[in-house]
Amino acid sequence: MIDLAAQARIVLHQAFFGGLAAAGFGVLFNFGPRSLALCAGAGAFALAVRTLGLDANWTLEAATFVAALATASVAMIGLRGIGAAAQAIALAGCIPMVPGAFLNEALLGFFTISASEAVNAEAAILPSLQAMLRFIFTLGAIGAGLAIPSHLARHRGF
Amino acid sequence: MQDELDEDDADPVRMRHRDLERIANAALRVGRALMECGASVSVTRLGVTMTARGLGAGIIGVRVGYASIGLTVSAEQTTITRMISVGGLGVNHRLDMAVRALAARVAEKGGTVASVNGDLDRLIRETPRHPIWLVALATGVACAAFGRLLGVDGQAFAAVLLGGTVGQDLRRRLAARGVNPFVIAALVAFVAGSIGGWGARLLGSASVDMATIAASLLLVPGVPATNAQTDIMEGYPTVGSARAVAVGMMMIFAATGIWCAQGLLRAGA
Repeated sequence: MIDLAAQARIVLHQAFFGGLAAAGFGVLFNFGPRSLALCAGAGAFALAVRTLGLDANWTLEAATFVAALATASVAMIGLRGIGAAAQAIALAGCIPMVPGAFLNEALLGFFTISASEAVNAEAAILPSLQAMLRFIFTLGAIGAGLAIPSHLARHRGF
Repeated sequence: MQDELDEDDADPVRMRHRDLERIANAALRVGRALMECGASVSVTRLGVTMTARGLGAGIIGVRVGYASIGLTVSAEQTTITRMISVGGLGVNHRLDMAVRALAARVAEKGGTVASVNGDLDRLIRETPRHPIWLVALATGVACAAFGRLLGVDGQAFAAVLLGGTVGQDLRRRLAARGVNPFVIAALVAFVAGSIGGWGARLLGSASVDMATIAASLLLVPGVPATNAQTDIMEGYPTVGSARAVAVGMMMIFAATGIWCAQGLLRAGA
Protein backbone atom coordinates (compact mmCIF):
# COMPACT_ATOMS: atom_id res chain seq x y z
CA MET A 1 0.00 0.00 0.00
CA ILE A 2 2.83 2.35 0.93
CA ASP A 3 4.68 1.28 -2.20
CA LEU A 4 1.65 1.99 -4.33
CA ALA A 5 1.25 5.46 -2.82
CA ALA A 6 4.93 6.22 -3.35
CA GLN A 7 4.74 4.92 -6.91
CA ALA A 8 1.66 7.02 -7.62
CA ARG A 9 3.46 10.08 -6.26
CA ILE A 10 6.41 9.46 -8.56
CA VAL A 11 4.14 8.98 -11.58
CA LEU A 12 2.24 12.17 -10.74
CA HIS A 13 5.50 14.08 -10.27
CA GLN A 14 6.85 12.95 -13.63
CA ALA A 15 3.50 13.55 -15.36
CA PHE A 16 3.20 17.05 -13.92
CA PHE A 17 6.68 18.15 -14.94
CA GLY A 18 6.38 16.35 -18.28
CA GLY A 19 3.20 18.31 -18.99
CA LEU A 20 4.83 21.55 -17.88
CA ALA A 21 7.88 20.97 -20.10
CA ALA A 22 5.70 20.06 -23.12
CA ALA A 23 3.56 23.18 -22.67
CA GLY A 24 6.67 25.36 -22.26
CA PHE A 25 8.19 24.04 -25.46
CA GLY A 26 4.74 24.35 -27.06
CA VAL A 27 4.89 28.12 -26.50
CA LEU A 28 8.37 28.17 -28.08
CA PHE A 29 6.99 26.23 -31.07
CA ASN A 30 4.08 28.70 -31.37
CA PHE A 31 1.19 26.36 -30.63
CA GLY A 32 -2.14 28.15 -30.10
CA PRO A 33 -3.74 28.38 -26.61
CA ARG A 34 -6.05 25.34 -27.08
CA SER A 35 -3.25 23.25 -28.57
CA LEU A 36 -1.00 24.20 -25.62
CA ALA A 37 -3.42 22.51 -23.24
CA LEU A 38 -3.35 19.43 -25.45
CA CYS A 39 0.49 19.53 -25.52
CA ALA A 40 0.52 19.60 -21.72
CA GLY A 41 -1.88 16.64 -21.64
CA ALA A 42 0.23 14.72 -24.16
CA GLY A 43 3.43 15.43 -22.21
CA ALA A 44 1.84 14.32 -18.93
CA PHE A 45 0.48 11.16 -20.54
CA ALA A 46 3.83 10.29 -22.19
CA LEU A 47 5.81 10.74 -18.98
CA ALA A 48 3.24 8.78 -16.95
CA VAL A 49 3.44 5.83 -19.36
CA ARG A 50 7.25 5.98 -19.43
CA THR A 51 7.47 6.12 -15.62
CA LEU A 52 5.13 3.12 -15.28
CA GLY A 53 7.30 1.25 -17.79
CA LEU A 54 10.47 2.10 -15.85
CA ASP A 55 8.73 0.99 -12.64
CA ALA A 56 8.05 -2.34 -14.34
CA ASN A 57 11.84 -2.63 -14.85
CA TRP A 58 11.76 -1.98 -18.60
CA THR A 59 14.82 -0.32 -20.07
CA LEU A 60 14.64 3.44 -20.67
CA GLU A 61 14.57 2.81 -24.43
CA ALA A 62 11.69 0.32 -24.22
CA ALA A 63 9.67 2.50 -21.85
CA THR A 64 10.24 5.54 -24.07
CA PHE A 65 9.21 3.63 -27.19
CA VAL A 66 5.95 2.43 -25.61
CA ALA A 67 5.25 5.93 -24.23
CA ALA A 68 5.78 7.56 -27.66
CA LEU A 69 3.71 4.86 -29.40
CA ALA A 70 0.87 5.24 -26.88
CA THR A 71 0.94 9.05 -27.06
CA ALA A 72 0.88 9.10 -30.87
CA SER A 73 -1.89 6.45 -31.00
CA VAL A 74 -4.08 8.26 -28.47
CA ALA A 75 -3.51 11.60 -30.23
CA MET A 76 -4.35 10.14 -33.65
CA ILE A 77 -7.53 8.44 -32.41
CA GLY A 78 -8.68 11.02 -29.84
CA LEU A 79 -7.80 14.12 -31.89
CA ARG A 80 -8.83 12.79 -35.31
CA GLY A 81 -10.92 15.91 -35.88
CA ILE A 82 -7.94 18.29 -35.92
CA GLY A 83 -6.04 16.39 -38.65
CA ALA A 84 -2.30 16.85 -38.96
CA ALA A 85 -2.13 18.95 -35.80
CA ALA A 86 -2.66 15.74 -33.79
CA GLN A 87 0.76 14.48 -34.91
CA ALA A 88 2.39 17.78 -33.94
CA ILE A 89 0.76 17.62 -30.49
CA ALA A 90 2.01 14.05 -29.98
CA LEU A 91 5.51 15.21 -30.99
CA ALA A 92 5.39 18.13 -28.55
CA GLY A 93 4.25 15.71 -25.83
CA CYS A 94 7.28 13.51 -26.49
CA ILE A 95 9.82 16.37 -26.45
CA PRO A 96 10.31 16.08 -22.64
CA MET A 97 11.54 12.53 -23.27
CA VAL A 98 14.29 13.66 -25.68
CA PRO A 99 17.44 12.66 -23.82
CA GLY A 100 19.42 15.84 -24.39
CA ALA A 101 21.13 15.50 -21.01
CA PHE A 102 22.60 12.14 -22.07
CA LEU A 103 24.09 13.70 -25.19
CA ASN A 104 25.58 16.53 -23.15
CA GLU A 105 27.02 14.05 -20.66
CA ALA A 106 28.50 12.00 -23.48
CA LEU A 107 30.07 14.99 -25.22
CA LEU A 108 31.44 16.45 -21.97
CA GLY A 109 32.91 13.02 -21.16
CA PHE A 110 34.52 12.82 -24.60
CA PHE A 111 36.00 16.32 -24.11
CA THR A 112 37.59 15.07 -20.87
CA ILE A 113 38.94 11.89 -22.45
CA SER A 114 40.47 13.71 -25.40
CA ALA A 115 42.46 16.09 -23.15
CA SER A 116 46.21 15.50 -23.52
CA GLU A 117 46.66 14.96 -19.77
CA ALA A 118 43.50 12.86 -19.33
CA VAL A 119 43.41 11.02 -16.03
CA ASN A 120 41.56 7.68 -15.85
CA ALA A 121 40.59 7.91 -19.51
CA GLU A 122 39.78 4.19 -19.62
CA ALA A 123 37.33 4.56 -16.73
CA ALA A 124 35.73 7.69 -18.20
CA ILE A 125 35.16 6.30 -21.68
CA LEU A 126 32.55 3.70 -20.68
CA PRO A 127 30.01 6.12 -19.08
CA SER A 128 30.45 8.51 -22.03
CA LEU A 129 29.87 5.77 -24.59
CA GLN A 130 26.94 4.49 -22.57
CA ALA A 131 25.38 7.97 -22.45
CA MET A 132 25.88 8.40 -26.22
CA LEU A 133 24.28 5.02 -26.98
CA ARG A 134 21.37 5.77 -24.67
CA PHE A 135 20.85 9.09 -26.45
CA ILE A 136 20.85 7.44 -29.88
CA PHE A 137 18.59 4.53 -28.94
CA THR A 138 16.15 6.63 -26.90
CA LEU A 139 15.84 9.19 -29.66
CA GLY A 140 15.31 6.33 -32.11
CA ALA A 141 12.60 4.93 -29.82
CA ILE A 142 10.76 8.28 -29.80
CA GLY A 143 10.97 8.61 -33.59
CA ALA A 144 9.77 5.06 -34.19
CA GLY A 145 6.98 5.30 -31.62
CA LEU A 146 5.70 8.53 -33.18
CA ALA A 147 6.00 7.33 -36.78
CA ILE A 148 4.32 3.92 -36.58
CA PRO A 149 0.71 5.06 -35.86
CA SER A 150 0.75 7.78 -38.53
CA HIS A 151 2.09 5.38 -41.16
CA LEU A 152 -0.44 2.68 -40.24
CA ALA A 153 -3.21 5.28 -40.50
CA ARG A 154 -1.77 6.44 -43.87
CA HIS A 155 -2.12 10.03 -42.71
CA ARG A 156 -0.93 12.34 -45.48
CA GLY A 157 -0.03 15.21 -43.20
CA PHE A 158 -2.69 17.61 -44.45
CA MET B 1 12.51 46.62 -80.19
CA GLN B 2 8.82 47.17 -79.30
CA ASP B 3 7.83 44.98 -82.23
CA GLU B 4 10.07 42.24 -80.87
CA LEU B 5 8.41 42.47 -77.43
CA ASP B 6 4.94 42.38 -78.94
CA GLU B 7 5.97 39.33 -80.92
CA ASP B 8 7.19 37.66 -77.68
CA ASP B 9 3.88 38.37 -75.94
CA ALA B 10 1.98 36.80 -78.79
CA ASP B 11 4.15 33.65 -78.77
CA PRO B 12 2.02 30.97 -77.04
CA VAL B 13 5.09 28.94 -75.95
CA ARG B 14 6.63 31.98 -74.22
CA MET B 15 3.32 32.82 -72.59
CA ARG B 16 2.98 29.27 -71.30
CA HIS B 17 6.54 29.47 -69.97
CA ARG B 18 5.75 32.66 -68.09
CA ASP B 19 2.59 31.18 -66.58
CA LEU B 20 4.43 28.04 -65.57
CA GLU B 21 7.22 30.08 -64.01
CA ARG B 22 4.72 32.01 -61.90
CA ILE B 23 3.00 28.79 -60.82
CA ALA B 24 6.35 27.14 -59.98
CA ASN B 25 7.49 30.13 -57.95
CA ALA B 26 4.22 30.28 -55.98
CA ALA B 27 4.35 26.54 -55.21
CA LEU B 28 8.01 26.82 -54.20
CA ARG B 29 7.18 29.68 -51.82
CA VAL B 30 4.60 27.43 -50.16
CA GLY B 31 7.24 24.69 -49.86
CA ARG B 32 9.81 27.08 -48.40
CA ALA B 33 7.33 28.30 -45.76
CA LEU B 34 6.55 24.70 -44.79
CA MET B 35 10.24 23.72 -44.49
CA GLU B 36 11.06 26.82 -42.46
CA CYS B 37 8.17 26.04 -40.09
CA GLY B 38 9.52 22.56 -39.33
CA ALA B 39 7.62 20.32 -41.76
CA SER B 40 9.13 17.04 -42.93
CA VAL B 41 10.25 16.49 -46.54
CA SER B 42 7.15 14.45 -47.44
CA VAL B 43 4.82 17.19 -46.15
CA THR B 44 6.82 19.85 -48.00
CA ARG B 45 6.73 17.84 -51.25
CA LEU B 46 3.00 17.34 -50.86
CA GLY B 47 2.44 21.05 -50.20
CA VAL B 48 4.41 22.04 -53.31
CA THR B 49 2.68 19.41 -55.47
CA MET B 50 -0.82 20.27 -54.28
CA THR B 51 -0.28 23.99 -54.87
CA ALA B 52 1.19 23.56 -58.36
CA ARG B 53 -1.54 21.12 -59.41
CA GLY B 54 -4.25 23.34 -57.92
CA LEU B 55 -2.91 26.21 -60.03
CA GLY B 56 -3.18 24.08 -63.15
CA ALA B 57 0.33 22.75 -63.77
CA GLY B 58 1.44 19.16 -64.20
CA ILE B 59 4.25 17.90 -62.00
CA ILE B 60 7.38 16.34 -63.45
CA GLY B 61 9.44 16.33 -60.27
CA VAL B 62 10.07 17.93 -56.86
CA ARG B 63 13.47 17.87 -55.16
CA VAL B 64 13.59 18.96 -51.53
CA GLY B 65 17.07 19.65 -50.16
CA TYR B 66 18.24 20.95 -46.80
CA ALA B 67 18.81 24.48 -48.11
CA SER B 68 16.78 24.62 -51.33
CA ILE B 69 13.75 23.20 -53.14
CA GLY B 70 13.59 22.49 -56.89
CA LEU B 71 10.43 21.99 -58.93
CA THR B 72 9.79 21.01 -62.54
CA VAL B 73 6.27 21.71 -63.80
CA SER B 74 4.69 21.10 -67.18
CA ALA B 75 1.78 22.09 -69.40
CA GLU B 76 1.28 20.08 -72.57
CA GLN B 77 4.74 19.89 -74.18
CA THR B 78 6.24 22.79 -72.21
CA THR B 79 8.25 22.22 -69.05
CA ILE B 80 10.08 24.59 -66.74
CA THR B 81 12.37 24.06 -63.73
CA ARG B 82 12.76 26.56 -60.93
CA MET B 83 14.54 26.50 -57.57
CA ILE B 84 14.16 28.46 -54.33
CA SER B 85 16.51 28.72 -51.37
CA VAL B 86 15.31 27.80 -47.88
CA GLY B 87 16.32 29.87 -44.85
CA GLY B 88 16.90 28.77 -41.27
CA LEU B 89 14.81 25.77 -40.27
CA GLY B 90 12.77 26.48 -37.15
CA VAL B 91 9.43 25.44 -35.69
CA ASN B 92 6.25 27.52 -36.05
CA HIS B 93 3.23 25.29 -35.54
CA ARG B 94 0.47 27.79 -36.25
CA LEU B 95 2.03 29.04 -39.48
CA ASP B 96 2.80 25.45 -40.52
CA MET B 97 -0.85 24.43 -40.12
CA ALA B 98 -2.10 27.59 -41.86
CA VAL B 99 0.17 27.01 -44.89
CA ARG B 100 -0.91 23.36 -45.08
CA ALA B 101 -4.54 24.54 -45.07
CA LEU B 102 -3.74 27.00 -47.87
CA ALA B 103 -2.17 24.25 -50.01
CA ALA B 104 -5.12 21.94 -49.35
CA ARG B 105 -7.58 24.71 -50.31
CA VAL B 106 -5.74 25.46 -53.55
CA ALA B 107 -5.62 21.74 -54.41
CA GLU B 108 -9.35 21.40 -53.82
CA LYS B 109 -10.76 24.62 -55.18
CA GLY B 110 -7.99 25.98 -57.41
CA GLY B 111 -7.00 29.62 -57.44
CA THR B 112 -4.71 32.12 -59.09
CA VAL B 113 -1.00 32.72 -58.59
CA ALA B 114 -1.76 36.21 -57.27
CA SER B 115 -4.26 34.90 -54.71
CA VAL B 116 -1.84 32.19 -53.48
CA ASN B 117 1.02 34.68 -53.15
CA GLY B 118 -1.27 37.20 -51.43
CA ASP B 119 -2.65 34.61 -49.01
CA LEU B 120 0.84 33.32 -48.20
CA ASP B 121 2.14 36.86 -47.57
CA ARG B 122 -0.83 37.52 -45.31
CA LEU B 123 -0.31 34.30 -43.36
CA ILE B 124 3.40 35.02 -42.84
CA ARG B 125 2.58 38.57 -41.74
CA GLU B 126 -0.53 37.95 -39.63
CA THR B 127 -0.28 34.46 -38.10
CA PRO B 128 -0.22 35.20 -34.36
CA ARG B 129 2.91 34.65 -32.26
CA HIS B 130 3.20 34.62 -28.49
CA PRO B 131 4.73 37.75 -26.87
CA ILE B 132 8.55 37.65 -26.66
CA TRP B 133 8.53 37.77 -22.84
CA LEU B 134 6.10 34.84 -22.66
CA VAL B 135 8.23 32.71 -25.02
CA ALA B 136 11.34 33.39 -22.91
CA LEU B 137 9.54 32.65 -19.63
CA ALA B 138 7.87 29.50 -21.00
CA THR B 139 11.24 28.25 -22.25
CA GLY B 140 12.71 28.83 -18.79
CA VAL B 141 9.80 26.94 -17.22
CA ALA B 142 10.31 24.09 -19.72
CA CYS B 143 14.03 23.88 -18.83
CA ALA B 144 13.24 23.88 -15.10
CA ALA B 145 10.58 21.18 -15.56
CA PHE B 146 13.04 19.17 -17.69
CA GLY B 147 15.54 19.59 -14.86
CA ARG B 148 13.07 18.14 -12.35
CA LEU B 149 12.55 15.16 -14.65
CA LEU B 150 16.33 14.66 -14.62
CA GLY B 151 16.48 14.79 -10.81
CA VAL B 152 17.48 18.42 -10.21
CA ASP B 153 16.47 19.32 -6.64
CA GLY B 154 13.98 22.01 -5.60
CA GLN B 155 16.67 24.59 -4.73
CA ALA B 156 18.03 24.56 -8.29
CA PHE B 157 14.56 24.93 -9.90
CA ALA B 158 14.54 28.75 -9.77
CA ALA B 159 18.14 28.99 -11.02
CA VAL B 160 17.41 26.74 -14.01
CA LEU B 161 14.24 28.73 -14.74
CA LEU B 162 16.19 31.98 -14.76
CA GLY B 163 19.01 30.50 -16.85
CA GLY B 164 16.58 29.10 -19.44
CA THR B 165 14.65 32.40 -19.63
CA VAL B 166 17.78 34.53 -20.10
CA GLY B 167 19.17 31.96 -22.55
CA GLN B 168 16.07 32.09 -24.77
CA ASP B 169 16.06 35.90 -24.76
CA LEU B 170 19.76 35.94 -25.68
CA ARG B 171 19.16 33.40 -28.46
CA ARG B 172 16.40 35.58 -29.93
CA ARG B 173 18.51 38.74 -29.77
CA LEU B 174 21.54 37.08 -31.39
CA ALA B 175 19.40 35.43 -34.09
CA ALA B 176 17.86 38.84 -34.90
CA ARG B 177 21.41 40.15 -35.47
CA GLY B 178 22.09 37.32 -37.94
CA VAL B 179 24.70 35.54 -35.78
CA ASN B 180 25.52 31.98 -36.90
CA PRO B 181 23.17 29.50 -35.14
CA PHE B 182 26.03 27.27 -33.96
CA VAL B 183 27.86 30.20 -32.41
CA ILE B 184 24.56 31.20 -30.77
CA ALA B 185 24.29 27.68 -29.31
CA ALA B 186 27.74 27.92 -27.69
CA LEU B 187 27.12 31.41 -26.28
CA VAL B 188 23.61 30.62 -25.01
CA ALA B 189 24.78 27.35 -23.42
CA PHE B 190 27.57 29.21 -21.63
CA VAL B 191 25.33 32.01 -20.33
CA ALA B 192 22.31 29.84 -19.45
CA GLY B 193 24.51 27.11 -17.96
CA SER B 194 26.49 29.63 -15.89
CA ILE B 195 23.31 31.21 -14.49
CA GLY B 196 21.85 27.76 -13.75
CA GLY B 197 25.07 26.48 -12.15
CA TRP B 198 26.02 29.56 -10.11
CA GLY B 199 22.40 30.10 -9.08
CA ALA B 200 22.06 26.50 -7.95
CA ARG B 201 25.27 26.78 -5.93
CA LEU B 202 24.17 30.04 -4.27
CA LEU B 203 20.83 28.48 -3.37
CA GLY B 204 22.56 25.51 -1.73
CA SER B 205 21.56 22.90 -4.32
CA ALA B 206 23.19 19.47 -4.37
CA SER B 207 22.75 19.16 -8.17
CA VAL B 208 24.87 22.02 -9.50
CA ASP B 209 26.27 20.11 -12.49
CA MET B 210 22.85 18.90 -13.60
CA ALA B 211 21.44 22.43 -13.15
CA THR B 212 24.12 23.71 -15.55
CA ILE B 213 23.02 21.17 -18.16
CA ALA B 214 19.26 21.59 -17.53
CA ALA B 215 19.42 25.38 -18.01
CA SER B 216 20.81 24.87 -21.51
CA LEU B 217 18.35 22.16 -22.60
CA LEU B 218 16.46 24.77 -24.62
CA LEU B 219 19.16 24.17 -27.23
CA VAL B 220 18.40 20.47 -27.72
CA PRO B 221 16.92 20.37 -31.23
CA GLY B 222 14.21 17.81 -30.51
CA VAL B 223 12.00 18.54 -33.53
CA PRO B 224 14.86 18.52 -36.09
CA ALA B 225 16.14 15.28 -34.53
CA THR B 226 12.80 13.51 -34.94
CA ASN B 227 12.34 15.10 -38.38
CA ALA B 228 15.71 13.62 -39.39
CA GLN B 229 14.40 10.18 -38.52
CA THR B 230 11.06 10.77 -40.23
CA ASP B 231 12.78 11.90 -43.44
CA ILE B 232 15.07 8.87 -43.52
CA MET B 233 12.14 6.52 -42.77
CA GLU B 234 10.09 8.07 -45.57
CA GLY B 235 12.81 7.66 -48.17
CA TYR B 236 14.67 10.97 -48.03
CA PRO B 237 18.02 10.03 -46.46
CA THR B 238 19.90 13.04 -47.86
CA VAL B 239 17.86 15.66 -46.01
CA GLY B 240 17.52 13.33 -43.02
CA SER B 241 21.30 12.95 -42.80
CA ALA B 242 21.82 16.69 -43.20
CA ARG B 243 19.38 17.36 -40.36
CA ALA B 244 21.14 14.75 -38.17
CA VAL B 245 24.54 16.33 -38.84
CA ALA B 246 23.13 19.79 -37.99
CA VAL B 247 21.68 18.37 -34.74
CA GLY B 248 25.07 16.84 -33.86
CA MET B 249 26.92 20.08 -34.62
CA MET B 250 24.43 22.08 -32.59
CA MET B 251 24.97 19.82 -29.60
CA ILE B 252 28.78 19.92 -29.93
CA PHE B 253 28.66 23.73 -29.79
CA ALA B 254 26.18 23.65 -26.89
CA ALA B 255 28.39 21.16 -25.03
CA THR B 256 31.36 23.49 -25.56
CA GLY B 257 29.44 26.31 -23.89
CA ILE B 258 28.43 24.04 -20.99
CA TRP B 259 32.02 22.79 -20.65
CA CYS B 260 33.24 26.39 -20.31
CA ALA B 261 30.49 27.18 -17.77
CA GLN B 262 31.34 24.09 -15.71
CA GLY B 263 35.06 24.93 -15.90
CA LEU B 264 34.43 28.40 -14.47
CA LEU B 265 32.19 26.91 -11.77
CA ARG B 266 34.93 24.48 -10.73
CA ALA B 267 37.56 27.23 -10.79
CA GLY B 268 35.36 29.35 -8.54
CA ALA B 269 34.68 26.55 -6.06
